[in-house]
Amino acid sequence: MTAAEDVLSRPRQHRPRRRMRPPPINWTFAAGAAILLAAILLAIAPGAFAPYEPTKFDYKAILKGPSAAHLFGSDNFGRDILSRTIWAFRVDLQIALFGTLFPVLFGTLVGAAVGYAGGWAQVVFGRVVDAVVTFPFLVLIIAIVAVLGPGLINLYIAVSTVGWVFYARIVAAEVAVQRRLDYAAAGRVMGYSTARILLRHILPNAITAAIVYWMTDMALCILLGSSLGYLGLGAQPPTAEWGVLIADGKNYMRTAWWISIFPGLAIVITGLGFSLLGDGLADMLRPRR
Amino acid sequence: MTTAIKSAAILTLLAGTGLAGLAAPAQAVTRGGTMTYGRYADSLFPDPVLNDANVDIWILSNIYDTLLLPTDDGKGVQPGLATAWTVAPDGKSVTLTLREGTMFSDGSPITAEDVKWSLDRARDPKNGIWNFIDESIGAVDIKDPKTIVLTLKHPDPAIIAGLSVFNNQIMPKTQFEAMPGATMVEKAKAFAEHPVGSGPFVLQSWSRGQEMKLVRNPHYWRQGADGKPLPYLDGVTFEVLPDDATRILKVQSGELDGAEFIPFSRVEELKGDPKLNMALFPSTKVTYGNFNVRPKLNSGADNPLSNAKVREALNDAADKDAIIAIVTHGVGTPMSSYMSSATPLHTGTGPVFPTDPDKAKALLKEAGFDKGFKFSCLVLAGNVDEIGIATALQQMWAAVGVTLDIEQVDNATRTDRFRKGDFSMRLGDWTDDIADPNEITSYFGYTPVIEAQHSGWKSDEFNSLYEASQQELDTTKRAGQYARMQEIYRNGPTVPLYESPYPVVLKTGVKGFLQIPLGNNIFSGTSLEK
Amino acid sequence: MPDAGYVLRRLLQMVPTLTFILVVTFVLVRLLPGDPLSAIAGDRVTDAQVAQARAAYGLDQPVLVQFGLYVKRVITGDLGRSLIAQVPVWTLVGQRLPPTLLLTGMATGIAVALAVPLAFISALRRGRASDLVIRGAFQIGLSMPVFYIGLVLLTVFSAQLRWFPVGGYGDGWGDRVYHLFLPALTLGVSLAAVLMRNLRSAIIDVLGAEYVDFARAKGLAPRIVLTRHVLRNALISTVALLGPTVGTLLGGAVITEAVFAIPGVGRLMIDSIYGRDYPVIQGLSLTLALVVSLVFLLTDLLQAALDPRTAG
Repeated sequence: MTAAEDVLSRPRQHRPRRRMRPPPINWTFAAGAAILLAAILLAIAPGAFAPYEPTKFDYKAILKGPSAAHLFGSDNFGRDILSRTIWAFRVDLQIALFGTLFPVLFGTLVGAAVGYAGGWAQVVFGRVVDAVVTFPFLVLIIAIVAVLGPGLINLYIAVSTVGWVFYARIVAAEVAVQRRLDYAAAGRVMGYSTARILLRHILPNAITAAIVYWMTDMALCILLGSSLGYLGLGAQPPTAEWGVLIADGKNYMRTAWWISIFPGLAIVITGLGFSLLGDGLADMLRPRR
Repeated sequence: MTTAIKSAAILTLLAGTGLAGLAAPAQAVTRGGTMTYGRYADSLFPDPVLNDANVDIWILSNIYDTLLLPTDDGKGVQPGLATAWTVAPDGKSVTLTLREGTMFSDGSPITAEDVKWSLDRARDPKNGIWNFIDESIGAVDIKDPKTIVLTLKHPDPAIIAGLSVFNNQIMPKTQFEAMPGATMVEKAKAFAEHPVGSGPFVLQSWSRGQEMKLVRNPHYWRQGADGKPLPYLDGVTFEVLPDDATRILKVQSGELDGAEFIPFSRVEELKGDPKLNMALFPSTKVTYGNFNVRPKLNSGADNPLSNAKVREALNDAADKDAIIAIVTHGVGTPMSSYMSSATPLHTGTGPVFPTDPDKAKALLKEAGFDKGFKFSCLVLAGNVDEIGIATALQQMWAAVGVTLDIEQVDNATRTDRFRKGDFSMRLGDWTDDIADPNEITSYFGYTPVIEAQHSGWKSDEFNSLYEASQQELDTTKRAGQYARMQEIYRNGPTVPLYESPYPVVLKTGVKGFLQIPLGNNIFSGTSLEK
Repeated sequence: MPDAGYVLRRLLQMVPTLTFILVVTFVLVRLLPGDPLSAIAGDRVTDAQVAQARAAYGLDQPVLVQFGLYVKRVITGDLGRSLIAQVPVWTLVGQRLPPTLLLTGMATGIAVALAVPLAFISALRRGRASDLVIRGAFQIGLSMPVFYIGLVLLTVFSAQLRWFPVGGYGDGWGDRVYHLFLPALTLGVSLAAVLMRNLRSAIIDVLGAEYVDFARAKGLAPRIVLTRHVLRNALISTVALLGPTVGTLLGGAVITEAVFAIPGVGRLMIDSIYGRDYPVIQGLSLTLALVVSLVFLLTDLLQAALDPRTAG
């Protein structure tokens, strides 16, 4: 028996998370929440903040650098980059949310059930995961887009078809570990129902990794939108979406850097918001000692 | 007369792009070296007859030779494997004299038998899509080992130009037939892997999607300015680089000697680089929108675009200059006919429809669409130029109350829907393959070919003019027929947008490279100077 | 610990997976609008010519007959011929798979090499400046589209500094690794960011677990506690993530391959989809599924080696 196994075999007590006392302020969480609240505000009322119509051409301001009139410069149609970046908050937050909502809910549930049941469920789940994950994502997304037409809804469908597997795998692995720990056994001895043990005790402990991944996944989903924008399969013109904006600026990297840089900054800041929130949540969900 | 003026215009254009040196014989040409050239896509099936795409067509003439060659301005022909050609006074036969002592790249002589076999294969209606070029040929006969006679079913004003088109390239009969495979198509596939031709270069190796290596054909018949056989280069290597930015970076870093399809947005910047020659080769390329003009759409809904007034209104509302400024960054010129101004027998000056939004509104009102309507446009996914055009049209038409939805789809989807007539509008571009207006005219307006680009547009007068012009040997009369067809086509199913050159970036040391208006990349006179 | 029987069982389990992929791709490619002819032929072809070509490719037969013929061929190991390139699909796979495998392998290597040490520093110095800098840098890496990272790296390191070639694949293994370094970095950055974030979180979890306290209390050297307990347990969740992520990397290297002009399967796949080259899409999907399944098996074995509790 190695030292590690020796340590692991040591009886461990289940400690319920404290709920009564208000937790101390988690600054990571607060910073993430602040960024995302600002982003949500921009998404709800972009018109209140954007100086111009996002789709309005101005032939006199084609490819102009940042100035007082156009703080973030203008693109090859003379459209205001600041306004387009602001309007894109609405589209991109939608992508982040709708692209991941189904995967996180469905994936977590499946993962929890499979991880807890183990045995045959694990084997069958393994085959399903294999089939979904080994399926070439591009074939799927292009097929969906080709059959249903390009646009964001079809993007959600394609992403959801595949995305849930990642959550399921993470949660299943964690639950499989957790259920063998003593507190779960204790719960069973005390005659708690499976659902109660799973939902009240194991899942909260196992879900941290899934939530951390979710926050990353939202940022990744926005990025996927940009990759599809590069292929022309994402948001359709003239919709302003960060990924498409960056792709638009690809040919102007040297001559009009502002077309890509500012939407890129918006992705970085929003992504930062998601990860801070994720880390903060992880800290708060982690069983405190 | 008009033609002469246009040739002068082309020469001026050439001078403007720094290519005038090509016309004058080079003084001291450096021989040797391998030129590396970045292409946006790889070839698919480099067979003269069975190919379908420009990625093959535009490089085939480096491997295979034709009896006659297109001139550098793409408007006429010059001697190739044939030194002379005569059309009989009744226009019913053509006699060609074969050049003495020509050889294929494997050293075997080019015989009259090879020529007859190649032309027979090219004109067989079962082979590929290009046999329409040889439609008039009734028989190919070997009069003597140096003389070929084509007997024509009817007089054909375009047959001489047709003999310079890629599908009439000469292939070695014996070597082709020795290929493995039960059918001619299988043999063609095998042959295309290791082709034997008589062009300036030979295909040495090809790793698909990556690289194609051509080496000098030691048996090429043409002489260079130094009195020795062409080509000057030891070889040409094509690298496949689908990303525009990467292709340009490779030239800037010196890893490539040249690259094609430079985005217009980069032209100005690259012109400023002293180490590079940003060339804009005159082309026959036209870029346009294409409507479905059938009274009902596939969905069963009424189609406002079937109304010629509505189409004219949309044309009036489209600001061609703005599109040229936005999409081509000023490099393009407005189309003045459905065919490019470099196509023989083109007529027209200035844009077909000058921009006039007020007239557009009035016309829409007359047509009963003063409240506007909505339709969608198929755009090639990820294609920056098409997205730019569609986005601009969307704004311009919104100003007259018409809503345009943009639908990005991949090429196969677009072609499929287009062929089925399942579209309202699509964007497209066209380059001629032959130094004659008949090819574009048959596709764009002559209903029996593909229903005027699958638009459903039909004009009986246009059709009969086209049929007459296909047998009209009198140049003036034929020009008159074409002038009338171009007039009728004002009511046609298109939104003529712009003509644009072929943007190619080369290192300054690359001399004598040419992309002719028909698109062919010509490396035979190219040299790498210090 | 898993034994040979386990591995054999897992290999057998791939059969249903691959069958599923075979059926679905066969159906899916036929649902795509258009067919190989519309993709190749372009605008100019007449209907009669299309019909003739369809017959030549056997596409005029009923779908079930086509499926039967296809299955029969696949069972004998023949994936058919490309309709566009006119060569056997195996030849294409043989040409295009190695670059992608090398690229993905290098990208994973770079990602792990970046993520593991930095995740440790970040987790152990939680809240301090070094933690913030590391996480900030990864956040930027995670937020940049692949094509943008690629173009920036190319512009700086290839075109300006001339340290690396501008894309391409190279000849000979050393040259290939050299050619693929920037693309692997491009592809590896986002994977590194994902791994780093998870690993950091897992390390913090493990550091909080009692058995680590216990090990510390037992007087084990901090270095041993870190490597034996913390690293090992933290890696479990990372490896769980690595399997599926590497899987998507394989099929998802398309954009990196396009930007860096690497003749890999990603580009072949997208060209084949756009070209409706049915045999290539199907054959490639099967091959990729097989490769991904093997990667899964490997990561599962790795996970089992790290954590005896999840073995089986």
